[in-house]
Amino acid sequence: MRRVAYRLFRSTSTFQYRLGRQLTPAGKFALAALVAAAVIGFDTNRTVGYQVFTLLAALLSVSTAWSGGFRVRLDVRRVLPRFVTAGEPAAYPVVIRNGTARPQRGLVLLEDLADPRPAVDEFLHAREPGEERRNWFDRTVGYPRWAWLVARKRGAAIAPRPLPALRPGDAGEVVIELLPLRRGRLAFTAVTIARPDPLGLVNGLVRVPLPGSLVVLPKRYAMPDLALPGARKYQRGGIALISSVGDSEEFASLRDYRPGDPLRRIHWRSVARVGRPVVREYQGEFFVRHALVLDTFAGRPESHVFEEAVSVAASVACSIQTQDSLLDLLFVGPETYSFTAGRGLGHTDRLLEVLAGVGPCLDKPFRTLHHAVLERYASLSGCVAVLLAWDQPRRDFVRHLRALGVPTRAFVVSEPAALEAGAGHEVHRLEVGRIAEGLAHL
Amino acid sequence: MSTPPLLLGAAVLFWGWATGLLLPAIAVAAILEGARAVPWRVDFSRRDFNRVSDLCAILFAGSAIYLFTAVGGMRVVDGPRAITVLFQWLPLLAAPLVACQAYSTAGTVDLSVFFWTLRKKAADEPGASSGALDLAYPYAALCILSASAANVRTPAYYASLCLLAAWALWSRRSRRFSSLWWGTSLAVAVVAGYAGHLALHRVQQKLEEVAFEYISGLVRRDTDPFRSTTAIGHLGRLKLSDRILLRVEPAAGQGAPILLREASYNVYKSPAWFALGAGFTPVQPEAGGETWKLAPGPAPETSVGVSAYLNRGRGVLPLPARAMEIDGLAVVRLSSNRLGAVKVDEGLGLVTYRVRVGPGALLDAPPTDFDVGVAAAESVAVAQIADELELASKPPAARLEAVAAFFRTNFHYSTYADQPVGGAPLEDFLVRKRSGHCEYFATATVLLLRAAGVPARYATGYSVQEWSPLERRYVVRARHAHSWALAWVEGAWRDLDTTPPEWVDAEAAGVASAFEPVSDFLSWVVFLFSRWRYGEGWDGVGRYLVWLLVPLVLVLAWRLYGRRRIGRARTEAARGEPAALHPGADSEFYLIADRLAVAGLGRRSTEPVSTWISRLEEGHAPVATDTLRQIARLHYRYRFDPDGIGADERQALRARVEAWLAAPGTGRG
Repeated sequence: MRRVAYRLFRSTSTFQYRLGRQLTPAGKFALAALVAAAVIGFDTNRTVGYQVFTLLAALLSVSTAWSGGFRVRLDVRRVLPRFVTAGEPAAYPVVIRNGTARPQRGLVLLEDLADPRPAVDEFLHAREPGEERRNWFDRTVGYPRWAWLVARKRGAAIAPRPLPALRPGDAGEVVIELLPLRRGRLAFTAVTIARPDPLGLVNGLVRVPLPGSLVVLPKRYAMPDLALPGARKYQRGGIALISSVGDSEEFASLRDYRPGDPLRRIHWRSVARVGRPVVREYQGEFFVRHALVLDTFAGRPESHVFEEAVSVAASVACSIQTQDSLLDLLFVGPETYSFTAGRGLGHTDRLLEVLAGVGPCLDKPFRTLHHAVLERYASLSGCVAVLLAWDQPRRDFVRHLRALGVPTRAFVVSEPAALEAGAGHEVHRLEVGRIAEGLAHL
Repeated sequence: MSTPPLLLGAAVLFWGWATGLLLPAIAVAAILEGARAVPWRVDFSRRDFNRVSDLCAILFAGSAIYLFTAVGGMRVVDGPRAITVLFQWLPLLAAPLVACQAYSTAGTVDLSVFFWTLRKKAADEPGASSGALDLAYPYAALCILSASAANVRTPAYYASLCLLAAWALWSRRSRRFSSLWWGTSLAVAVVAGYAGHLALHRVQQKLEEVAFEYISGLVRRDTDPFRSTTAIGHLGRLKLSDRILLRVEPAAGQGAPILLREASYNVYKSPAWFALGAGFTPVQPEAGGETWKLAPGPAPETSVGVSAYLNRGRGVLPLPARAMEIDGLAVVRLSSNRLGAVKVDEGLGLVTYRVRVGPGALLDAPPTDFDVGVAAAESVAVAQIADELELASKPPAARLEAVAAFFRTNFHYSTYADQPVGGAPLEDFLVRKRSGHCEYFATATVLLLRAAGVPARYATGYSVQEWSPLERRYVVRARHAHSWALAWVEGAWRDLDTTPPEWVDAEAAGVASAFEPVSDFLSWVVFLFSRWRYGEGWDGVGRYLVWLLVPLVLVLAWRLYGRRRIGRARTEAARGEPAALHPGADSEFYLIADRLAVAGLGRRSTEPVSTWISRLEEGHAPVATDTLRQIARLHYRYRFDPDGIGADERQALRARVEAWLAAPGTGRG
């Protein structure tokens, strides 16, 4: 049943997509009017709606006949930015060169994004948020799920863009406006050049393959500066270790070997000179280092709570000044990840890029993150945790960190209805849909 | 309005022309196109649009209820009629919403206006937009489609349609091609569309013909023009009813009885008569739509008026013999067959019409082989009687007289049939019992005439007998249903009623009851009500609707009156000035601010006035800060209070500022 529905949805959406490309807005309107006229003029004795029907059908047929013979050779180059931000309109130039011997006028440029339709397995196993509340028919056939999956994978909205008139051999530039809809990688496959027919109803289409991609960073909220506690902490390995690969450390002195010193610190030349083990001693480094902990244990592949949590994490990452301190982004995906930014070590945009690609973790317990943070607690001056719930493991985590003397600020992102009572002073609660408001109250 | 200038107005006028609602159409067109000439716009909120949309929905629902009750019941068979009218009214019902869009600052309508779910969503998330819709083109399309429901079958409709389409397409044409290409493409489409719609209509007609013949073979209706089952051979008393079915006003000088025929039949297969080779063909109305010519030639002045109820708006019309023209018949479709039956395919529950009767009987086709045959079951008895009467030797007119005399002298009328003595029921009647009801007489007459070589048909209908002093006209009851013979004599069909005249009294005796006067009176009341209900042409209904609109539009206008009006940005923008000034922009307080700014004590760009005054105070500036604070408070109210300030307070503000500016040392030090 579901597979049949999938096939049906897939072919219908193919048809819709092609129709959407083929018809100009006027053409779409004419088609809608055609359908209406067909209904009204069904009985040719009763109304003369059938005359509207045949006229529109004739207009669309003539226009369709025009669209068949369109050939054009254009060189198209797209200059994509590296990053854009979800929900923020962006623009990028496209350069088109007329490679034909004729002037080209009245063309329209359409961007082809990667196919947003889900694969059959994805369709069968995905669960739309709130699907259990849908009626029996919707649950069985699964159209809402299909629509949701398609909407989720549709990376951006790009309006068709008319091209300027191009003389033979000329190049022109148009600025394409793009509205990224969600974070992640946005893939372009081609551009399509559309030529409306003389009546302006149906497009002739020529597809120019032109792959490209950009990263859509998570949506960010304006938030006040987080007053994070700034005690400097001893950093093993010092700046060098964290700012470059390798083990080039600030040398302080030599001293006699004490049991427990690592063998690799033994200074062999001195050992040879004095005849007893001598080790190198290094300058200790102290500076501010914060952890940004993102809870990825959403429990299901898709949830807006998780998306909002990523946005909150991105907002926090941007608001923390990293000129003089370090910021570790910690989360658990297929394994535990830690990315560090600050003090010339990689910029915040690196963190955002990482956040653009982060997905929920479904196969590990929250404990994994707890342990990962505890391993690093000694070097942390403070911690910001963005959590998806306020249950016992998360409470334990925050209390544990505080008990260890790590000042911790925790944000709990959740659905408005799912907010648990109590513990108001321990965490900042952020409701989905009112995140900006919640952050502004900090 | 995204449509080219005047296109929308033209579409509305086109609709008005086609549907006959030209006056409302002119008003709507003027309102919609007037928006281009008017410089102001109203700042309608989403709630205002919702309200107007609700008004349209109420108008729609009200019209629907009115039409379904007034034009004909909610029955499926009758549904399309009311729906068609409702559809024709749609542009008028939707006009308030489109007009609001035309005069709104937004210029579009939020989709949430149309859907409750979206409206609820919009209420939950005030910032979110469900998508905006420009109603201009959809409304133009609605006008054109609604006009199509008026069924104006003239070339003017298609020509106007093409003109409007070309008008709309011209502004959207591709600039890549010359207008010559555009014109050629359009011309090809127009010609193809014309040929297409002719072909489409013809195909449907063909299909209908085939389907009608098939279906009419399967379905039986109240008065079936193809088959009439008689009670010949039934036992017991005929069941008769007193109910009044028709009301008849005969022509001046014409008296009862008049025979009103519904249908005639040509083939008898006991116990039923059939009409073979009698398919129906549509009758086209004359100009005006209420006159239906059944036979060519000028119709005489004399006419018979008939009022008849139609079951679900369809049925066969009772007509006097030699009907030439039906006048004042407000129905949608009428068709007739070659045996003289005229049926309404789509009409109202009650029809009142006048039938003009001419000299010839052109509605009935000349006889065919069907009109001369006698079935084997009756042929022996019929031939026997024909021989007895020596019909074959007489001229045709005399044969009729002989047959009439035969029944008049030898037979008597009875509504009661007892056990047949033997043989076929008709043979029993002719030869032995010699008593029966009208169906026996009519059938026997037809067969006898046929046996004598006179083509004849069996006719059913009503005999008009009873004058109602109450209604001042003839009434026809169910028991007046009658059957008689039609004979082809001297190139014309003549009615030949051989049933003994006492049949009327005999049948009345069977059913007359003490309550008859009461039931007649009630029937008359129902008739008067029905006549009022169906008597309105829908031009009249349209007129009522317009009156209905007046209070609703007034209420709406009153609700919207208090809305802020915003000057249209166009003229001001051309001069490079801001489109709209905020309220309180003309406050004199700004003069003080300017004066102080000149003195180097000006307000910083992000500084609130109160902070500024405090700063002046702390900086010991030579300024009367107390007075300034009071003026600032008044200025703030003028500037931000939603209720504004009164005229006297406004005057006070002006006076205080003047006093402050005039006072020595204010800001000059």
